[in-house]
Order: sequence, then structure tokens, then C-alpha cells
Amino acid sequence: MEIAGIFKYLYEQLQATGLPQGWVDFISLVAACFMIFGFLALVVLFFVWWERKVSAHFQQRLGPMRTGWHGWFQTIADSIKLLTKEDITPNAVDRPVFYWAPIVGFAAAFAPYVVIPFAKGVIVSDLNIGILFVLAITTFTVISMLMAGWGSNNKYALLGGMRSAAQVVSYEVPMVVAVLSVIVFVGSLSMVDIVTAQAHIYEWFVFRAPFGPIAFVIYLIAATAETNRAPFDLPEAEQELVAGFNIEYSGMKWSVFFLAEYINLFTVSAIGATLFLGGWQGPFLPSWLWFLGKTLFLVFVFMWFRWTYPRLRVDHLMEFSWKVLLPVGFANLILAGLMKYSGWFNW
Amino acid sequence: MTTKKLHTEEFTVNMGPHHPSTHGVCRFKLTMDGEVIVKAEPVIGYLHRALEKICENRTYPQCIPVMDRFEYCTSMSCNMVFALAVEKLAKIEVPERAEYLRVIMLELNRIASHLIWYGTTCLDLGALTPFLYAFREREDILDLFEMTCGQRLTYNYIRIGGVSRDIPEPFLPKLRKFLDEFDARVDDYEALLNGNPIFITRNKEIGVMSKELALAYGVSGPALRASGVRHDLRRDDPYSIYDRFKFNIPVYHGGDCFDRYMVRMQEMRESAKIVRQALDQLPEGEISTRVSPAFKAKEGELYSRIENSRGEMGVYIKADGKEKKPYRVKMRGGSFNQLMVMPELVIGHKIADVVAIMASLDIIMPEVDR
Amino acid sequence: MVKKLIDAIKNLFIGLGVTAKHLPRKHITLQYPEERWPMPERSRGVVVLLSDKETGELNCTACLLCMRSCPTAAIRIEFEKDEKNKRQLTSFVVDNTICCYCGLCEEACKFDAIKLAPKYEFATYNKEDLIWDVKKLQEMGRDVDYEVTRKKKTEDKPKAPAAAKEAVKPDAKNADKPSESSPAGTAAKQETKPAEPTVPKVEEKKTENNAPAVEEKGEDRKEEGKQ
Repeated sequence: MEIAGIFKYLYEQLQATGLPQGWVDFISLVAACFMIFGFLALVVLFFVWWERKVSAHFQQRLGPMRTGWHGWFQTIADSIKLLTKEDITPNAVDRPVFYWAPIVGFAAAFAPYVVIPFAKGVIVSDLNIGILFVLAITTFTVISMLMAGWGSNNKYALLGGMRSAAQVVSYEVPMVVAVLSVIVFVGSLSMVDIVTAQAHIYEWFVFRAPFGPIAFVIYLIAATAETNRAPFDLPEAEQELVAGFNIEYSGMKWSVFFLAEYINLFTVSAIGATLFLGGWQGPFLPSWLWFLGKTLFLVFVFMWFRWTYPRLRVDHLMEFSWKVLLPVGFANLILAGLMKYSGWFNW
Repeated sequence: MTTKKLHTEEFTVNMGPHHPSTHGVCRFKLTMDGEVIVKAEPVIGYLHRALEKICENRTYPQCIPVMDRFEYCTSMSCNMVFALAVEKLAKIEVPERAEYLRVIMLELNRIASHLIWYGTTCLDLGALTPFLYAFREREDILDLFEMTCGQRLTYNYIRIGGVSRDIPEPFLPKLRKFLDEFDARVDDYEALLNGNPIFITRNKEIGVMSKELALAYGVSGPALRASGVRHDLRRDDPYSIYDRFKFNIPVYHGGDCFDRYMVRMQEMRESAKIVRQALDQLPEGEISTRVSPAFKAKEGELYSRIENSRGEMGVYIKADGKEKKPYRVKMRGGSFNQLMVMPELVIGHKIADVVAIMASLDIIMPEVDR
Repeated sequence: MVKKLIDAIKNLFIGLGVTAKHLPRKHITLQYPEERWPMPERSRGVVVLLSDKETGELNCTACLLCMRSCPTAAIRIEFEKDEKNKRQLTSFVVDNTICCYCGLCEEACKFDAIKLAPKYEFATYNKEDLIWDVKKLQEMGRDVDYEVTRKKKTEDKPKAPAAAKEAVKPDAKNADKPSESSPAGTAAKQETKPAEPTVPKVEEKKTENNAPAVEEKGEDRKEEGKQ
């Protein structure tokens, strides 16, 4: 039951209305944006609930049970509560920066979805620099963190914001290097090409030892740090002195940051699934189901990390990235390059 | 080319009484040079309840529930130290069965207290799951206590002359079941964190307390044993019937947070060993010597101490022989000394380490403030 | 160096394994208020006043022992002497905001009048509603079952063998701890005679005697839900 057909049908219907081609394209792109927005909103609602349930079952308890069957309505109830909360803006904040920070963060979270292949033939725009675009756009979240830290006019927020920014920027590099190890094999930056290069399960990059698993692990660690999740969540931890860059935010603005974090989680999982686990490839079941399944599996792995490991201190974090992950990543990249061009791997 | 020396300024940060990681209400005034702490000053007294003064107006049996609240995580020890002091003053003999029941309850309480320590330490370091595992174990222990004396936290169980009630029928099978599963659970905790590189980096070489520093500040308990001093009151100044049990005293020499963690994990196992031995040797008999609620202790003053899970817990009683209330009760808790040594340990570390050090020293504020 | 790295990775996986082990396990959460924990019989909850099982009158004789033994002065009792010079209770107030649930009053009472019942659901919206008078205390104590251990002054003779029988009966029932019940049983028989004279002595004997008597009760009602 492929969904590519539905979109094709809708596009043809739009063309049949007789509008000029430019308008047809424009309307279809806007519609695609709305569809992605809607899909991600549902995804985030699901993830917040799922995280609470998964964490509860790891801890031998139940999680939300009262709001609906097993608490499925909990996120919606929380959102309604957040909407009705008072939006406190301290007097001395830098208003434009303070207001625009969550919006920039939210927009940066949505931008990568332009090139993510959801199913066979379902991608908003198959840019031929797909993965490069994603890696570049995800760095925009740093800007929003810095804006939040600066705009709050609070030394703790500034400290937290700068720490987050430093962390995200440091872990970009190993992530890019890990992704490069895969690109070397594919030979193209386009996301669709990456997926089609993993047509069989033994071709999935996570299984192409020895560089595949190493690249996968580096990617997982770097992605956890990118999304500010435990064990790298010191910038926003409650147990430390500062609560991070979103100290001064309350109500809907805070929830925008919160939702942006979960969207980022879905993004990195989707990219991980595309790059390493074969994207939408898989037998028997429809491709979108495979994609969702693999992404959700990676999300589960991220949640597993969060509820198992203690937190890293900021300097350990930076040390780890620059002194451990990066050298290993480079060595891995060289190994991948050697393997490709010597022809040892002809799978 | 010369570089001008950068002008830096120290700033004060307040780690306020309301904080998720200060184990109670404790305030720290931290003077920091960038990320590094230069000076730390604890401000205490937020939990002062004037317990010592209250005891001056209560009869001896009525002081026991007051002592419960001295350190409510190890309430049995608080009852015990007071009862020991009064028994020594008034030369009251305690029956055998009562002694064994006391030891069982004390060691179970030690395990429960160490479980709280374990859960909150992991919580402070960011591993949120072991907290719930520790409290799951603690539920079993608290159920045992509730079955016996009726309460889960402030027991009022160990009385002057013995214990208040005998153990009910379901106690022994439930305790044996708990002990059978407990070692495997501690193995789980150790597997989860002992070798974890993140845990190790956050705890090794952090908050190193040398032997001399520990002894100078009067630190006792697991914090002292992690600095290389083999001192345990159950062995060195035995009270009750501790000389009848075989148990090891874990001693480490590093003095850092990781060693304090290891000492307490092993202590949990040793306490379970003591409980098993006590169960095997549990005799029949009376559970209390009769003590009138209005009894007057003879004139005298006495300091008695026991090995609590946080160090040496002591009570100094001065009785004047005429009243049925003590003239003066002074309580000594181990957490106070450990809080006072903290400013020396945090110098040169970062704020995240303050949390780790405080958690590893196992300081709880009711013992500090009384 | 490499060994350290391999060790670190191995331990990280072991940690993941421990958490994963708990995933399929059954939860230990109790969904209150649909599921409630069966409170142990000795649970020290709220203070209640017990009434006689047949007549429904309060057992309390205003002896003030509980008031004197309370460490926080949460109990306030007022009484009058009637024409027979017997104390009649006029007011019995327990301040639940001060009570520390230590149970010393229950142990001091020798008339089965006051007990700490295993009840914990008494939250209210006003602090004043937590100060209970004798009516409320009696009402809360109506459904609390208790073992009758007092010796009524008027029916001393017939009750005494009954009380002794009660202490001896669990003797036969309880074959597990013969050595413990028999001294208690004989102590109960012995102390029925000097019941009144020395108030403190009887009372402290009660502290020990209470233990086996109430304990038998604990054995009778097994807490199945918990085990």
C-alpha cells in the first residue's frame, strides 16, 4: 500500500484544474509544508507520550494512565495547559531577540524535512546536495539557543546558552565525519541515492563492517549531543545550577522549545535510519511503514540512552568530542575511503 | 609580542536552600573564578527544630519519638543511641531477643538509608532510573517495618529496655525472601554504574579527602573509611551484640567520590550478611525489660555513640536524678562534620562537582540542623 | 589504552542491558484510589476512640494516662466527677495537626479506649476540621476492630478467667512460639489480681503483654494481598 500514488494523484488533480504550472507547483509545495507540519505535530504529540511511557516501563512503573486509555491524551492536555499559562516576559529582556529565538528554533527544526525520504517516491524535494543541506540547516538551532541565552538578560541563561551552543557545534564535526564515511560509499549526496544504495539488508551501512558500525556509533553519540539529550543534557539539566537557556521562557514559548527538541529527535533518527538502516527499504511491508519503524527504533534507542546513563560534565563532553570522537571518526573515514577505492568491498 | 594579563573578577553564586540537589535545605555561597570554585561557605539552620531543647521537656520514654526526627532516614539508629545512653545511665539490662531484634532492625535501616543515598546520588548525576530501583527495594524494607511497628519512617520502636513489639508471623518469611533477592539487586546496581565510563569520570579524583583532613574534621563513617582509616564503631567500640557477628569492613584508600560509592555499596552487602546471621541466631524470650514511663535516671552524664550509616551518631545525656526529664540532651550527627569538610573539598572543582561531592558524602540536613 | 576503551564500551552495553531487563517486568505501581494497599494491622494511623462492642459506649474512663504520655500534647481531656466520685468524660480533643503518630497513648491506655487505627484518609480543606472532638473520634473508631484486654471493674470475677482464657487460647493455637506465649499467658493470669493499685506498673506490663496479645491478632488476620 504505497502512498506515493496518493500524492501523485493529488498532484494530477491539481494540474487538471488548469492553473498555470508555476501556481500548481507553488500550491503543491505549500500543501506539502502543511502536511509535514501536521505530520510532525502528531509525531511530537506521540513522542512526548511515548517517552513518558518508555521511561516509566524502564523504571517498572506505569507512566500516565488517567487521561484517556493509558494516558494517550496526556500530551494534548499538557499543551492545553501550556497554552493557558501566563506568558511572563521579564522587563529587561532584549525584546526582538527574546521573541524570535523560539521561532528560529522551531523553523530550524522543520527545515530538514524538505529532503527526508518518507517512503518510496515520497520526498518533498530531492536535492542533489540532500545530506549536506540537512547538516547545514540543523546548525541553525545554535542560533536560536544563543538568541535565547542572550535575550533573556540573565547570566545563568547566557551561561547555559553558550554551553549548549559550544556543545552543538563541537558535536557537529564528528557527525559530519561519520556521515562522510557513508557518503564515500554512495558517491552522491542525494538522500534518495543513499537509500537506493542499500537495496538489500546486507548492504545497509550499519552492517558494512568495519567502518559501518563505527560510523553508526559515532553518529548516535553525536546526534544525542546535537539534540541536547541525556547523557549530554547538562545545559538544560535541573540538577545543576542553571537550567539552561530557556530559564526565562514560560507558557507557549517554552513549549515551542520543548517541541523543537522532539522534532530534532525525530530528524536525527530519520537521518540515521536513512543513512545507516536502509531508509524505506524492506521486503513485504509498505515502504513508509519500514521508514517509520526504523525511525521509531532509533528514537527508542535514544530514549534508552537517556534513562540509563548519568550526565557528562561540560568539559568532559568537549574533551570527549574533540579528543576521542573526532580522531576515531577521521580514522574511520580514511578506512572507508581505502576500502572503497581499493575495491575490497564489492557487496 | 606581550599579552596583557586578562582582568578577571570573582563572582558569588548562591546555591540556594531550594535546590534539587542539596539533600535537604542547605545553602552554599560559592565564590567562583569563571567555572572554578575558589571558596565555598555553607549556611545552615534552615531545618533547625530545636530538638535538643524539646528533649529537655519530655520524659525519657517521650524523648524516643523526638529522637526519631533527629535523622529520619535512619530513625532506628536514633532511637537506639538514646536508648543505649539511658540504659547505661540507669543500668537497665536488655533481654537477648530484644538485642537481636534491635540489630536486625538497625541493619535493615542501614540498608534502607544506603538505598536512599544510592538513589539520590544517581539522580544528582543524571541517571534517573536507579533512583526508582533503589526505592523499589526500600519499599520491601519499609513494609517489614510497618508490619512490625506500624510506621514507615519514624518508628518509635527501639525503646528503653528493649523493643516495643515482637515481630509478627509474616515478618520472617518476608525478610528471608528480601534477603535472597537483595544480593542480585545490588549486583544489578553495580553492573549499571560501576564500570560506566561516564560515572567514573564524574567521580574519580573528585573531592579527594586525605586521611589527615578527614581526621582533622572529625569525619566518620563511610566517608572516613573511603579515605583509608579503618574505623568502624561496631568493631572498635562494640555496642549491643555486634561482637557476635562476622562481617567485613570495606576500606578504600583513594578518598574520592568513587571510593565513597564503593564503600557504601559493599556496606549494603555486609549489612545483609549481619541480618542473615542474626536471623539464624535469633533466640526466644522477652522483648523488653519493664521500665516505668515516669522513671528517673540517676544523676550522671553519659555520651553514647553508635555507627550510623552516615558516621558516628552520638547522644550526650546529663541527668540530674531529681526529674523524670533529662537535664540536657546533646545530639551529634556525622553529616555535620562532613558538611563542614565540604568547603575544603570543592576548591578547584566546578559547580557540577559540588553536587557530586555532596551526594557522595551523604549529607542530610536534619542531622546537621537538628 | 585500547583495553580501557573496550572495557568502557563493554560496561556501557552492560548498563543498557540492566535497564532493558526491567522493560518486560510487571509494574509495581498501585493505582490509587482504585487499588489500595491493605494496611498492616499494626499500622499507626489516626487516633480513634474505641467503644464497647456490646453497649456502644466509650471505653474511656478519663484516667488521663494518654494525655500524660503524649510527647506533643496533642490530646486534651476534660472530665467531671459525678456523685459516685467517678470520673465522667466531658471533652476529649485530639489535634491531628500536632499528633506525631508515635503510639505512646495507645500503649499507655489500659482500658482499650484509644487506638491508632490504620486509617490515613482524613485530609480536609480546613485546618480546623483536623481538630477532632469526642464525637468524631468515636465515629472514626466504630469500625475499628480491637482485642478486648481491659478488665472491667464491675465484672471482675467472671471476666478474669475469660481474659486468662483469651491469653491462653492463642497459646494452643500458636504452636510455633511456645516459649514466648506461655510466660505472657502466665503473666496475664498473674496480673489480673493486682489490676488496680499501682498504675504505672500495670501499664508497663501492658507494654510487654500487649505484644503477644495483639500479635496473635496479627496472625489471625493474614494479609493475603501483600504476600
